[in-house]
Amino acid sequence: MVSGHPVHASGGKAPLKTKLVMALAGNCNVGKSVVFNQLTGLHQHIGNWPGKTVEKAEGTTNFEGTTVDVVDLPGIYSLSTYSIEERVTLEYIMTDRPDVVVNVVDASLLERNLYFTIQLLEAEAPLVLALNQVDEAQKKGISTDTRKLEQQLSIPVVPMIAVRGIGFHELMTAARDTGLRKSERKVILVKYGPEVETHVEAIVRTIERIQTGLPTRFVAVRLLEGDEYVRQLVARVNEEAINVADEHRRQLEEEHGHSAASVIASERYELVRKIVEACQSVTPRKFGLEDRLDEVTTTGILGYIIMAGVIALMFTAVFIVGDGVASMLGGSFSALQQTVVQALGGGVIAELVWGAVEGLMAGITLALPYIIPFYVIMAVLEDSGYLARMAFMMDGVMHTVGLHGKAFIPLVLGYGCNVPACLGCRIMETDRERTLAVFLTTLIPCAGRTIVILGLVGRYVGIEWALGLYALDLLVILALGRLAYKTLPGEPTGLIMEVPPYRVPHMSTVLKRTWFETSSFITMALPLMVLGSVFLKGLEVAGMLGPISSLLSPVSVGLLGLPSVAGVVLIFGVLRKELTLIMLAALSGTTNLSSVLTASQMVVFSVVAMFYVPCLGTVVALYKELGWKKTLTMIVAEITLAFAVGGLLSRVLPTLMALLT
Amino acid sequence: MTIVPLSNLRPGDKATIDSIEAGMGLTRRLLDLGVTPGEQVEVMRLARFGGPFEIRVRGSELSIGRGIAAKVLVRREE
Repeated sequence: MVSGHPVHASGGKAPLKTKLVMALAGNCNVGKSVVFNQLTGLHQHIGNWPGKTVEKAEGTTNFEGTTVDVVDLPGIYSLSTYSIEERVTLEYIMTDRPDVVVNVVDASLLERNLYFTIQLLEAEAPLVLALNQVDEAQKKGISTDTRKLEQQLSIPVVPMIAVRGIGFHELMTAARDTGLRKSERKVILVKYGPEVETHVEAIVRTIERIQTGLPTRFVAVRLLEGDEYVRQLVARVNEEAINVADEHRRQLEEEHGHSAASVIASERYELVRKIVEACQSVTPRKFGLEDRLDEVTTTGILGYIIMAGVIALMFTAVFIVGDGVASMLGGSFSALQQTVVQALGGGVIAELVWGAVEGLMAGITLALPYIIPFYVIMAVLEDSGYLARMAFMMDGVMHTVGLHGKAFIPLVLGYGCNVPACLGCRIMETDRERTLAVFLTTLIPCAGRTIVILGLVGRYVGIEWALGLYALDLLVILALGRLAYKTLPGEPTGLIMEVPPYRVPHMSTVLKRTWFETSSFITMALPLMVLGSVFLKGLEVAGMLGPISSLLSPVSVGLLGLPSVAGVVLIFGVLRKELTLIMLAALSGTTNLSSVLTASQMVVFSVVAMFYVPCLGTVVALYKELGWKKTLTMIVAEITLAFAVGGLLSRVLPTLMALLT
Repeated sequence: MTIVPLSNLRPGDKATIDSIEAGMGLTRRLLDLGVTPGEQVEVMRLARFGGPFEIRVRGSELSIGRGIAAKVLVRREE
């Protein structure tokens, strides 16, 4: 059972702190981000944990004169350090030592949630329990006796309904009190059954003098479980302790016939079950509306039809917003160009300034029509619980490209814009899955590439050829997905995901999140887009386009059979893919592109534009998600792919097209 | 009583988890989500196209891929 006894206090009065650091920890889907948003409002910042692609949201709030820095930790189910998120959380609690950790739990899933709470207690985190969504639990016939739960856990428990702002004052009072009384804090002992306890205590005696920065009992339990991360931590200071722990683990496994990890997990859950039974009462409820909705939207053909409808709606929303904003910007854009050129009287400076403006506009036209709606849609899908259902339905299909169901959303949204789609690949659990999903996402023809495909092939060659290109793209994705799946090191992970109940998304949280995510991306991408654009303009002004064209002609003319102007055009396409079409017209001096390219050249040109280097915005997103090494590898791979497929087509297509007509 | 992989069950079937025959990482994740030996599990639904199993364990609902479901052994009363 869990029991508390005071830890030897440091003696004397601790100086009253007016600044506190509070961390939010808990499972996924418990309303942690709603708590975070309600607390910090507009005072927040979204970044990454140093050196990790795990998101870190920080903010500040003020409570009765005390400034409270709030850190939102990743949503996890355990402190077992098998995922990056779990390691980040453990390292943060151990090294940064927040004054108080608020563990947000879902009142209707107390058993699963307290399993994590128990581990936070073992890690000796200064804990307050936020018992959230008590209203939803009530609807399910679950009521919790808060006082009894407090007694059972020996920590403050605050019932809350975060979406309606209920319980925050009580939460902050408890958090402040716990944070301020850090030195008088009790160590809460989590005790296992006698068989496990004997081994834990034996290991505790062995490692008592070893400094790992983690509580001794916590380390002992982890060693008994065989946690790799903690083993390495201990091995660095004392190799012998590992052998002792391993021997105890072997004994425990012999006694039980199950792995030690499994024995300890079962015991932890047993402990939790007793606590839950002591303080919760459940009246079974009838089959409700939510269950009916769940049944209809996930089972059978109707579920897939509804999903197709939702996706269609998503695209319509993105394109309506995108189109509206783009045409609005387009108008003011050309007026602006005149003003800039006139004001600076033409010349090199005017050209370069114009280049900067173009880069800025490329960034804005990326952010407004695509990134903002993407985040809103993504957040709504996630919060409502529909994302999990889509992943459930598409898992089988996604396995054909070596990914599991969760990758479906970023891939589909890649048709709108690759940039947010790459950022959305964060929902994949491991580095391996994330890399593969990001790679395949960059091969999805986004709106910009659609303009090229439809504007060139669709318009001049025929819509069936344009559709053929989409089919070709899917084939390439399928082939490369399978290839990467086979060659990427590491274990492929299958789908393991909690299916949250359907809920109405909390709009204020969704919108705030969208705002902060978008602005953090823009501050990173905009400068790069402006620089890139100025650089390209500089090349043009310096009269480098001609020489570059002839330099590239072995590829553009020799390999791909395109006119030499295509080389330069494709370079500019890196800024935005649809620029290739615009520049092709501008540099050829005609809008009738059929006089510039033959039908087969159009197909080849579109294929190359579709596959080669992702646009600058996507490159920035790649760099942000995967680091420069993987980004460069992908760029090289995609250029090679574009030239290989393009080169092949340029040799086959003219004959094929002649045969077909 | 027979021991079968969870992937042999059909929607509506209930069984008791016997063991998990998988690597450490996967075993750990399943255990942490409450899929522990001795616990009751119920199959809620099955996705099409070789998709995942939706199961209910310890009051929460989980989606687990078919490959993973094959690695969870369960005891079924017959």
